[in-house]
Amino acid sequence: MTLPGFAPAASVYETQAEFLQRAFSKTQPAPAIIWLSGERKTNVSQMLGHDYPAMRLRYWCQAERSAWILEEIGKELPITVGVIIDQDYIQSLRVLTYRENRGGEVASPAFSDQFNGASLAASGALDTEIDGISGATLSVHALTRLANVALFLHGESGCTDGA
Amino acid sequence: MAKAGVPMARKGNGASVPRRLHRFIGVIAALYVIFMVFSGLAINHSNRLGLDQGHVSQAFLLDWYGLKAPEHIQSFAVGDDWVSFAGSQLYLNDMVVSTVIHGKGAVSGNGMIIAAGIDELILLDHDGKLIERIAWAAQGPEPVESIGLQADGSVTVKAAGQLWLADAELLNWRQAEASSNIPFWSETTAPPDSLRQSIEQQYRGGELSPLQLLLDFHSGRIFGTAGVVVYDFLALAVGFLAISGLFLWARGRRNGKRKG
Repeated sequence: MTLPGFAPAASVYETQAEFLQRAFSKTQPAPAIIWLSGERKTNVSQMLGHDYPAMRLRYWCQAERSAWILEEIGKELPITVGVIIDQDYIQSLRVLTYRENRGGEVASPAFSDQFNGASLAASGALDTEIDGISGATLSVHALTRLANVALFLHGESGCTDGA
Repeated sequence: MAKAGVPMARKGNGASVPRRLHRFIGVIAALYVIFMVFSGLAINHSNRLGLDQGHVSQAFLLDWYGLKAPEHIQSFAVGDDWVSFAGSQLYLNDMVVSTVIHGKGAVSGNGMIIAAGIDELILLDHDGKLIERIAWAAQGPEPVESIGLQADGSVTVKAAGQLWLADAELLNWRQAEASSNIPFWSETTAPPDSLRQSIEQQYRGGELSPLQLLLDFHSGRIFGTAGVVVYDFLALAVGFLAISGLFLWARGRRNGKRKG
């Protein structure tokens, strides 16, 4: 999925197919859909600080493991992020496509591995402190917001029940 | 008529050359400063004033900026609505709803409007809200050629001569025989003149926000290099006023002491 106004000069670190292959190495599940409406939409909007620019999101779920492809504006352009969640904990968060001119350091596994093992605290916020990167503050914040949203939607999706 | 105690030399043609020059430049600079103050305030509060929203629609301003109408507008009738592609803009009726690369067609199905670009499908509700963008690359590298409907109303896409059939939610796709009978393919249709004109105007104005217009006025760039140079001279005039004012004040004090 791509937000409006994306720039053609993007760095693609992983395609959707490669991401799903990594998330579900043996049998890839069929995609499912979750609609952003009502209280769910309100919660996501609060996490992001704005409405998510789509009314529905597709995700992939197998047992208690889900994979999400989400997008959020860093400074001016959307960053595409793939999040794999296993039993309410982030197993992997990777930048799939980065479009900004600066701040691409967030695509480095050395940074994104900080999200591994993160889950939602009782307050609904991420329970793990993420160290920033000088010069990439907005991108770091964007990834942190998406990690929060992915964990929330994982809980909402029913994937936690092995759906 | 001079008031008592006010020397005639300070009024009309009797004023000294520095004072007359100061007065003349002062009037021009005052107008410049007033404009800069108010335009600067408006720029500083542009978000609150909504100047960064919307776009300029006055034809003479769009002409001045050289903003042209799109070379081609492709429109597709979708039920009671029109989906149009102009440049990289996607319109639902006369409203810009998204961006798209090389529009190929649009259909309505399962309560949604599905617009096809060369590399993605854009799902909208009938109010123009984005439901989802589906990257076509997930099905294969071949670009979308056209979009249509099967007899049961579900969506079909043709890519590199191959037919792809979607399920009702457009979640899963399966390949079909190229010879399959698809009763409806989306084809471009001439839109009503009023709609075409509205899209052309919006397309031209889409590049120019009220904030950009104000910024260009504020900097003088709207008049090109000449405007910037004139603004430079006006800024220098304000500086001249400050200096000449100090000079006149100092001279007045000196003269006053001598008379005293």
